[in-house]
Amino acid sequence: MEKGKISSLQMAFMMYPTIVATALLGVPSITAKYAKTDLWLSPIFAALIGYLTVYIAIKLHKLYPKQTVIQFSEQIIGRIPGKILGFLFLFFYIQNTGLILRGYGEFVVGSFLVNTPISVIMASMVLLCAFIVRGGIEVLGRAAELFVPIFIFPICILILLLIPDFEYKNIFPILGDGIMPPIKGAIVPGGWFSEFFLIIFLLPFLADMKKGMKSGMMSVFAVMMTLIVVNLLVLFVLGSTTSTKLYPLMSASRYISLADFFEHVESAVMAVWIVGAFVKISVFYYATALGTAQWLNLSDYRPVVWPIGILIVIFSFWSLPSSMDVSRNDINVFPFQGTLMQTIIPLLLLVIAIVRKRNHKGTETS
Amino acid sequence: MIRNVGKLLRKTKEKKSLIQNDYQDSKPADELDVSFSQNVETLRSVYDNCSDVMFRSFLLFGKTRAMLIYIAGLSDIEAIEQYVLSPLMQEASKEPQPLNEFIEHKMPVPKVVKVNMLADCIESISSGNPILLYEGESDGFSLGLSKWEKRAIEEPVAEGGVRGSREGFIESLEVNTSQLRRIIKSPALKIQSMKIGTLTRTNVSIAYIDGLVDKSLIEEITTRLERIKIDGILESEYIEEMIEDNPFSPFPQIMSTERPDVACSSLLEGRAVILVEGTPFTLIAPISFFSLIQSQEDYAQRFMAGTFIRWLRYFFMGLSLLLPSLYVAILTFHHEAVPTALLLSVAASRESVPFPAIVEALAMEITFEALREAGVRLPKQVGSAVSIVGALVIGQASVQAGLVSAPMVIVVAITGIASFMMPRYIAGITFRMLRFPMMLLAGTLGLLGIMMGIIAIVIHLCSLRSFGVPYLAPLAPLKGKELKDVLWRAPWWMMDTRPSFTGDSNVYRQAPEQGPNPKRGSETE
Repeated sequence: MEKGKISSLQMAFMMYPTIVATALLGVPSITAKYAKTDLWLSPIFAALIGYLTVYIAIKLHKLYPKQTVIQFSEQIIGRIPGKILGFLFLFFYIQNTGLILRGYGEFVVGSFLVNTPISVIMASMVLLCAFIVRGGIEVLGRAAELFVPIFIFPICILILLLIPDFEYKNIFPILGDGIMPPIKGAIVPGGWFSEFFLIIFLLPFLADMKKGMKSGMMSVFAVMMTLIVVNLLVLFVLGSTTSTKLYPLMSASRYISLADFFEHVESAVMAVWIVGAFVKISVFYYATALGTAQWLNLSDYRPVVWPIGILIVIFSFWSLPSSMDVSRNDINVFPFQGTLMQTIIPLLLLVIAIVRKRNHKGTETS
Repeated sequence: MIRNVGKLLRKTKEKKSLIQNDYQDSKPADELDVSFSQNVETLRSVYDNCSDVMFRSFLLFGKTRAMLIYIAGLSDIEAIEQYVLSPLMQEASKEPQPLNEFIEHKMPVPKVVKVNMLADCIESISSGNPILLYEGESDGFSLGLSKWEKRAIEEPVAEGGVRGSREGFIESLEVNTSQLRRIIKSPALKIQSMKIGTLTRTNVSIAYIDGLVDKSLIEEITTRLERIKIDGILESEYIEEMIEDNPFSPFPQIMSTERPDVACSSLLEGRAVILVEGTPFTLIAPISFFSLIQSQEDYAQRFMAGTFIRWLRYFFMGLSLLLPSLYVAILTFHHEAVPTALLLSVAASRESVPFPAIVEALAMEITFEALREAGVRLPKQVGSAVSIVGALVIGQASVQAGLVSAPMVIVVAITGIASFMMPRYIAGITFRMLRFPMMLLAGTLGLLGIMMGIIAIVIHLCSLRSFGVPYLAPLAPLKGKELKDVLWRAPWWMMDTRPSFTGDSNVYRQAPEQGPNPKRGSETE
């Protein structure tokens, strides 16, 4: 089905923008709504879900190597329930890819290309993603290796340029209302961290499985650090107004002004962010296409790439009527749906698999 | 299937002639006849109406009838006279016996080969080696006396440099292989030859270093070359396009060079070099994208200077692809991204321009491409006229007439210069070509469109391979240690390993720790 191999480093490079790209946009303000000045602590709690998810995924992979969740769920809970669960996963991922695409389109149209139809922007992105998905996991891995530095480097520059605007006092009071606000604030980013479950679709193609766990954990750590830094950044620059901004990082970047020449860099930030969004949508898209082909027992996933692309565009329109609903979905639905599908169900699968294996072994020896 | 049947039918219908079909191999499989006069007759009929083929008949030692066949201008006439005709034509009292023994071993000719196939005779005559036939012998003798006029070794025109060897390849394959051999004297340098082209019978050689190169690479190149069925090879580009991995890519996957030192440095990295008779441009495979933007001069100057120039080149490579599209995108969609003062001055100069930025940019870029192309083909005397027209009419008059804004002219000029910074002409063209779709994208979607274009190019580059080597190696897949030749030009004492995709069978190219350290004792004692 997929003959390519990737290195564990490439996997980490693929996963990093998959989580960070969209988490940078709206999540800081959602977190700020609950955690107020402690929003920089929330990613630490949220990352726990990420570590747990990676751990579950790798344990499951070790029990069923060379298989993805679509294939081994049939073995764990039986053929028909497995197929149903597989369908749920695929439905979740198709719908979610559509939502990510919608978020991307809303952001670009809302902030930059006001007069451009959103369908053009979303369709062109899906077209590009379809190309790379058809190229296979190797191409995806290499492209991620190139794009991630392009993505990270400007964020570092952004931080450096914003240092003059920092109000360090904004951080106080630390934990003024106890530990609960940052934990509440961690629920939404937790949904994002649960997306790490996608590595279950990449692990079977890893050339160096031994480093898989390390790379996965490193990736979670990198995402956590990025979110902490970004949250601190918006807190220092925007202070208590963070929660009122739709895209706080963008708002913060408007503060940049260097030598009266280097200012208004938002469009450059947007251009760089597109690269991250591209990797994110591609990874989701790839997992969906691969999973669909495995669910249908096809010999190759490439024939389903275009149909799924069309489905993704359709879902991006159908799922939610307006941009208001997009952010409401991000706050009220996705964290729970994402954690349920990507952390809790896999955890149950893992428990059942371990119990079954133990029983199996038990019957063998007795 | 149907095509094959058709081919078979066509084959049987056609009369058996010397050239059956332009692309089919047309070797007559006949052996030479026992009869001398019959052989001469056959060859005469083969070379019917070829006034440049000489049939010199004479008597061997005054007795035996013999015939020397050669092509005027391809064989060394003086040597024929001195070493073949004069010893053979003297009326010796005793004829040396046996005759073929004498010709093969006692004639002062560099190379004598016995041939008994008609096709081999023709091959030998065509490549300038005279054929000697005589009565009572069914074999012919091919005498290695080819010699023809060739250009002297000159400085390579398309790849100049300040420091480094000034020798370039020429059109003669023998001279070219000898230049390689002069640089790499080890017998590990292997040169395999074959002939391609049914009519031109062009000599093609594959050079590689045994022990460095991946054996399967040479096999792959050989099979791909053998697959070529064509009437003639006039330039190495014919071969390049026939053996490329992805012919529908704007990026060259095989590099051409006319510098022996570049070819040799590739050989030392475990790559293969394909030399083609009749062109000074040899092919190097496999390559990566970064081979195209590295110049031999990076290695012939101090490493800091080399690194600086390399980065300058990367920067201008980006500009040559993106500058006009960035200009269009910013003027059309992202006014806020430029400082107000700059925006005002640009807007003031654009005030009288009747076109939108995208039209202006496309028109100017196309004009520039036309100017460049006209300058390349024209005779030198007329060339200056083109530059005057370009500079004065396009640059000056159109701005004064208010048809084009001055900043646009500056952008086009910088882009043009940037595209000439690519050390490989062919890579420069690739970027110049890709500039136009980028401009259209920028005109429709602004910065987003530019990013879309970049992403599309990167996807394409990531999926590209050159003889199995990922095109973006060592950047993607990432090989941290090999970035020494991509991110910067590491000093020579640090370049101790070969690129892993080509030189994997023999990793180390020099002894470790040759860098400046106390052990070397340059300062102490």
